[in-house]
Amino acid sequence: MLAKFRRNYGITISHIILIISSLAILLPILWVIRTSLANRLIAYKIPPVWFFKPTLDNYLTIFAKYPFQEYFVNSLVISGIASIVALIIGSLAAYSIARFKTGDPWLRLSMLSTQMLPPIALVIPIFLLMRVIQMWDTLPGLVLAYLSFNLPYTVWILIGFFQSIPVEIEEAAMIDGCSRLQALLRVIFPVALPGLLSAGVFNFILNWNEFLFALILTGRNTRTLPVAIASLWTQQGVNIGAVSAATVVTILPVVILTYVIQKSLVRNLTFGSVK
Amino acid sequence: MVKTPLFKSLPSRDRTAAKKLVAPAVIGIWIVILFPLLYALYVSFHDWILSQGKIGEVNFSNYITVLKDPLLLNAAKNTILLTVSVVVLEIAIGFGLALLLNNKRIRLRNLYLFILLVPMLMPPITVGLIWRLLLHPDLGIINYMLSLVGLPQPIWLADPVLAMITIIIVDVWHETSFIILVLLAGLTSLPDEMYEAAMIDGASAWQKFKFVTLPLMAPTILVATIIRMIAALKTYDLVYILTRGGPGISTETISYYIYKVFFVFLDMGKSSAMAFILLAIIILMTLILMRVMRTAEQ
Repeated sequence: MLAKFRRNYGITISHIILIISSLAILLPILWVIRTSLANRLIAYKIPPVWFFKPTLDNYLTIFAKYPFQEYFVNSLVISGIASIVALIIGSLAAYSIARFKTGDPWLRLSMLSTQMLPPIALVIPIFLLMRVIQMWDTLPGLVLAYLSFNLPYTVWILIGFFQSIPVEIEEAAMIDGCSRLQALLRVIFPVALPGLLSAGVFNFILNWNEFLFALILTGRNTRTLPVAIASLWTQQGVNIGAVSAATVVTILPVVILTYVIQKSLVRNLTFGSVK
Repeated sequence: MVKTPLFKSLPSRDRTAAKKLVAPAVIGIWIVILFPLLYALYVSFHDWILSQGKIGEVNFSNYITVLKDPLLLNAAKNTILLTVSVVVLEIAIGFGLALLLNNKRIRLRNLYLFILLVPMLMPPITVGLIWRLLLHPDLGIINYMLSLVGLPQPIWLADPVLAMITIIIVDVWHETSFIILVLLAGLTSLPDEMYEAAMIDGASAWQKFKFVTLPLMAPTILVATIIRMIAALKTYDLVYILTRGGPGISTETISYYIYKVFFVFLDMGKSSAMAFILLAIIILMTLILMRVMRTAEQ
């Protein structure tokens, strides 16, 4: 009786802690969504108005007054191209390292060690060099800069994926008359596709969220979403509703994409050190 | 990790193929990482104020000047304070919540987990913006709530101590998800047999935690600590969006201070030198933690 009471007591306390933590996460996000749907008058009102007719005015404002569609497209193109290029180049290298131990162990470990590099250490020389070759404020410029973290990550994470694919599959294909390249393209890559996809999506999310490189290497032509919303705050005080709407627009694609890779999220986030 | 047998004798045709496959990635890394780093090293040994034109005289004392800079010392102190605070808090809270979520008798575990993981992938800039909206002295909901219950309504980001505490809290809000996810993955993969054995021996819940869970989880906790520590030592985004290092210089981190010397004072030589000092700090701290990890494993 007492034991049962104590056990239920523990469960109740667990629920209370979990509910409080969940609310601590949810309420700020819900508040921003609420503010993004309020008109100018209601957004500024303190004490707050709890019930009102939602409006999409703020979303129209950020797309009409500030060219948010341009920033959105910039973010999309830069993040997308960098992660695809990293995937193509990186998967070939990862395959070679996994199968042939190319440059072992230095090549492999140097990929991991780039994790320690602070972005500010790279962005200074990259900025100086891009000024010289006139790639500052260009899309390819930022794509190149993003490869500095996309590429090592992709190689490192895919080595593990390729190692977990049995060599026999490939050997069987080669006995059946495939060349190594054909075996790679027709047999190995299809099997490795889930791994490739999750690495690519994860890179995309990293690029989408990136701020420091974008702040320093972009100008009027290539501004990405994080830089654009950061500057929204300083312009003419704060338009709370517009900032909220821009925040929602920036977060939404990431949340959706996270669903695609949720199964391999732990592996992605920890550089494969925890599975 | 599954070890695949190596192709036993690699024909030379395959050896060249292997090299051709890594070549693009190696060249790419040379272009986007190694070459810029070497260039930064070169710049760090020169006087160079960008507004005064081309690269100046060779100057081997940049590193000494920078190490004597009281502002860098201030930034280093802030960075260490921030890093230690957020890593300790995030590991403690994250491990606690992961343990709760690992209890199979808790209903709606997956719903809780889903909610708790949301902040992890939000861009740091949006997290900072959300909290600036909430903490706004006049328009923010938090000070309004405080006024309802009769508590003082501080101007959060205008006070040196409160500003640092705010950054720490926002970072914990943002990054604890990562710890929860990693530690929960570790907990669910612990072998059941150990717990069954402990139960047969009549171990209490506390004993099970202390003698089974904690030792088995130690390596995972250390990995999570290292990853978070490296990231926290580089903290830039949150400081930029929340305080710009202020009030005064009370929340300037090393990364932020370097950014200022680089982008505001336009001093290429000194900012490059400081970037290498930051890199050295990160490598040193990582090596120390890895040494701890290795001795703990033995």
